[in-house]
Formats: sequence, C-alpha cells, structure tokens
Amino acid sequence: MKLRTKLTLFNTISKLVIVTLFVSILPVLIKTINRNYTDSRLRKEKDKVLQTVKNLGIKYYIQNGEGYAGYTPIKDSYVSLDADSLDENLDTIRNEERRVEGDTIQYRILSHDFDVNKEKYLLEIGISLDSVNEESGPLQNIVFVVLVGMIILTIVADQLYSNYVLKPLSLIIKTKLVGNKFPNFGIYKEVKTSTSDFQHLDISIHQMIETIENAFQKEREFISNASHELMTPISILQSKIENMFEQEDIADELKVRLLEMQRILNRLKSITKTLLLISQIENEQFLREDKIPVNELLQEVYDEISIRLQDKNISFKIDVPANVVLVNVNKFLLFNLFFNLINNAIKYNREGGEIRVEALHENNQFVVKVIDTGIGISAADLPYIFNRFKKLKQSLQQDSFGLGLPIVKSIADFHHIKIEVESEKNVGSTFKLIFSPELIG
Amino acid sequence: MNVLIIEDEKALARELEIFLTNYNYICEVCFDGESASEKVAVNLYDFILIDLGLPDYEGLDLLKEARKNNPDAACIILTARAEIYDRIKGLDMGADDYLAKPFSLLELQSRMQAITRRKFGLKNNIIELGDFLVDLTERIISYNNAVISTITKKEFDLVAYLILHKNRTVTRNQLSEHIWGSIINDDYDSNYIDAHIKNIRKKLNAYSPPEWLETVRGLGYKIRINA
Repeated sequence: MKLRTKLTLFNTISKLVIVTLFVSILPVLIKTINRNYTDSRLRKEKDKVLQTVKNLGIKYYIQNGEGYAGYTPIKDSYVSLDADSLDENLDTIRNEERRVEGDTIQYRILSHDFDVNKEKYLLEIGISLDSVNEESGPLQNIVFVVLVGMIILTIVADQLYSNYVLKPLSLIIKTKLVGNKFPNFGIYKEVKTSTSDFQHLDISIHQMIETIENAFQKEREFISNASHELMTPISILQSKIENMFEQEDIADELKVRLLEMQRILNRLKSITKTLLLISQIENEQFLREDKIPVNELLQEVYDEISIRLQDKNISFKIDVPANVVLVNVNKFLLFNLFFNLINNAIKYNREGGEIRVEALHENNQFVVKVIDTGIGISAADLPYIFNRFKKLKQSLQQDSFGLGLPIVKSIADFHHIKIEVESEKNVGSTFKLIFSPELIG
Repeated sequence: MNVLIIEDEKALARELEIFLTNYNYICEVCFDGESASEKVAVNLYDFILIDLGLPDYEGLDLLKEARKNNPDAACIILTARAEIYDRIKGLDMGADDYLAKPFSLLELQSRMQAITRRKFGLKNNIIELGDFLVDLTERIISYNNAVISTITKKEFDLVAYLILHKNRTVTRNQLSEHIWGSIINDDYDSNYIDAHIKNIRKKLNAYSPPEWLETVRGLGYKIRINA
C-alpha cells in the first residue's frame, strides 16, 4: 500500500473513531450539563423567593393560611409555597410528576423547608423536564453536522497537504527508481523539496546510482579498450602466420602446425571481436535507422546459415507474415541477433531435428518465435543462459565460448526487444522475441 | 603497381610489405604521419594504405591530403578502432575501402584486386577452368555456354576467392573469414567450408569433373590455373 494511502486511511479512521466516541457520549454530556444548569436556576429562584420572604414577610405569599401557587401559562415552570405539616426538613432537587390542571407533567423539582415565625413552610419550584430537554435534541444534531463537516474538511486538508508534502517522494520513486533501465540512468535532475529527509534520500540515491554507473562505465570502457588494444597484436600475429604459410620452403608438416596456430588465433579474435561488439552496443555506438522486412532479414540469415542446417540435416521452416517491416532498427545487429539465435538452435539440435521460425501479431506487439527440437535447457540453468562466458554442462562439447546468447541479449536490449525463453529438457527450446509497436512500420 | 603503406606498427607494416611484394606490388613504408604526408605530396601511388590510428597525425587529415595530391590513387583505410562512424566518415571522405584490424592479408589483396578491376577496368574477367568458364563480373559459371544456375551466391564467392589467389593454398580459416567475416558469433572452430566445397564439386561433377579444384590435405583448398 502506498504511504499516502496509509496516511489518509489512518487519518480518516482515527478521526471517525474519535467523533463516534464523542457523539455517543454527547447525550449523557448534554443531559448532565442541562441538569446542572437547571438545578442552579432552581436554586437561584429559591434564593429570590427566600429573599422576598425575608424582606416582605411570608404574608407576601401566604395570606389567611392559603398556600401560594404560580404557573407560567404553558406550565413549563411553577412555584408553590405552603405550610408544611411534615416533620422532616426537606432540601432536595429531584424529578417528580405533578398533575397540573389535568396534565401529568414531569418536573425537576426543588423542595425546600424553612421556618418563619416558628411556622414551617415548604417551598417547591419546578421546571418541566420537557422544556429542559427540548433543546438537547436539535443541539445534538447541530453538533453532529458541524463535526462531520469539520472532519470532511480536515480530511480534505490532510489529503491535500500530504499530497503536497509527499510529492517529492513519488517523484523520486518515479524518476529515479521505476522505469530506469539498469544501468543506464541518464542525467541527474534534482528533485525540488524543502523536506530534508527527501533531499537526503534524493541525493543518496543519486550518489548510489552514480557509483554504480561509474563502475559499469569503467567496465565497459575497460572491455572496449582492452579489445581495441588486442586487435593490433592479433593483426600482427595473423599477418605473420599468413606470410609464413605462403613461404614455399616450409614443410607441410609445419604448415599444419601453423594452421593450428591460426585456428587458436581465430578463437582469440572471435572472443575479442564479440566483446568489442557487446561493449559498442552497450555504449550505444550503433544507429537505429534501418528499415527491413522481417522475412527478407530471415532469408538473409538463412542464406548464410543453410550450410549448417544441411550439415546436420535439420529442417527449417519460416512462417512469417510477408508484409511486416521492422523500423528504427540496426540491420547489422538484427542480422547478428537472428544468426546467433538460429545458429544456437542448430548447434544444440539433434541430427535430423527441426527449427521453426514463427511470427504473429499479439495485441499490438509483434512476436517472433524461434522453436527448436534440441537438447533443451534445464530450469536450473535457465536464469544464467544470457550471462557472459557461462557454459552450461550439456553444451561443453560445443566449440563455443558462451557469448552467443549474450550477443543476442545485448542486441535485443539495445532495441528494447523483450526476450522470453521456454525450454524443456530433451524436447527443445522456444526463444520468443517481442517487438514493441515502435519497431513495426 | 606502387603501394604506400602508412602503419605505425612496424611489425605489421613489415608483414604487409612482404606480402604485397610477394604479389608483385612495389611497396614503400612509412611509420608516421609526418613522413607519409611528405611522401604523398611528392610521389604518385596506385594504392595508399592508411592506418587511422597514427600517434602523430590525424588519419582522416592524411586521407584528405592523399586524395588531393594523389587523386588517382585508391585509398584503403586500416584501423583497429572499428567504429562505424569512422567507417562512414572514411568512405565519405573518399576512401575506396575500409578494413578493420585484424584482417586477413588475402582479404586485403582481394579488396585491392576488386578496386583495380573497378578503377582500371580490367577486361579479362572471364577465367577458363577446365571445361568451365567463370565470369567474375556477371558472377556466373557456365559449361558449354550454358549457365550452371544451381551454384549459390556463397559458392560462387568461394570459387572467386580461390581464383583470385590461384595456385596458392587458401586455408579454411581464410575462406571462412572471407565468407562469414562480418558475422559475429561464438563459434571458433566450426568448419562449414568443407560442406560448401563438397556441394560445389557435386554440382559441377554433373557436367565435368572439376579437377582444377584441389584439396590440399590438412591445409585447405587451391584452384590450379596454368598460366
């Protein structure tokens, strides 16, 4: 999961939990607040009444022994004052029912006993519970709506900010890590950010890439220089051997040995030329400007290779659509790619075997398959077949030095052609070349 | 014919000289660009072989000078650098051919022959081999005025190369290099030349035994032409 998604998810969930908690305790909270507020109102009323009694005497309320009772017209509160005959001294606030003019109403009632002139009186002040609670419903709703609105706002704000603050990170991932073909990273472009962690990450990745790139560059340069430097001595030796071979006073026996020397020199030359080619391809020293029909290219390869097919009595079939033209390719390199692939299919084939080259359009890609009936490659060896100088056990008897498939691989990489290999031991191998639409004219 | 060899590797220059002298060329050798520049300014040559990697001189400048002072000379570039851009640049600037080191001396000679044929318009391009006629221009072999059409391009190349080096043993390596030299692959010892020669013999035998095509046991092949 992406960091940004995780952060957003966490933010949302934590806020939802907090809000749910808050909303669920809200009724209790409001009730408590309401009750406290009502109780303090009742006490204030009581003090007012007692003050009046003290200032104006009990007669203000009670005359001729008749109790006082006053209601507001909608009966949401009342005050009553009467003589009390009970012994106990009441001073409570509680919820009780009262019948008022035929209606039974729940009241919050303050009851208070007090003495005036040795007479005991009971004061009751009531506020109807309906009137107390009637605000709490809408209030709860408003609080809920406001909270939800605030949450949505903060989530949006969080999202925007984390987007903004994490942008350098996704930029680093996108431009520095994903989609970069190893080891060709191209030039360094600083990712602009004020977050020091990202600056540090960016520069560290850059330094690492630079180190790797330098190592690769050095290796390529070394191979290129080494093979160039080897060309001249090889050339001198070859010329010397050829000249000696032409001398008439040399015995045939010696000539045979000269020939052996030449063969060994040839081997050295072959390795050096191959390494040079690979390093030149990796250094992008070839152009990709040619245009060639696939079947024409395969025919050219066939012309060069038919003698090898004949030598091993291998049947060869090309089943390729006639109208497919490869563009933006290097003809020399592609020729060598197919030559090596088919040459391998011959080398590791059985006497009287079969090779098929098939091509088809798959989605908008073009796929060429080289299918042989050879010795196959074991699953354990399969990951290593493109490694330089890697010789697989079953191929040891062949006169090759393990650079055929590395040539194929580097040419394919150079053209961004994907290679897939399927193989079954003692049954055969299929090499699948996948050409992207840009290479198809 | 006069050849100027410009090559700073003395050992290689010496071998080129020996080889070309053997083929009846008159050779002069320069080991550096300075003296080569003087030589092309005063003397006239038929061939100028230029090593591009001279330590004291830009090879392509030397080519320019040679072109200017020796307009009739054929220039062949020899280089170990083998970069395609040099190749294109060299041919653009008037080099007649290009050989990447290491090259076979026979290959050099065949390129020089081809240029001679092209430049000086040698008429004698039809060679008589026993009962067969080989036309090097049209690239056909005929028997009693009938073209033998079964001979492939590769097979003709082999015959032509052997004719070019007539009466000398050409090794399998040299033939392979001529035929497959530009293909890069990882076989170093595969010999398909024998199979090709076998095919050629079989095809020609249908008309008349090609006794002129000799196998030199253990060494290679030879086409014998009595002058």
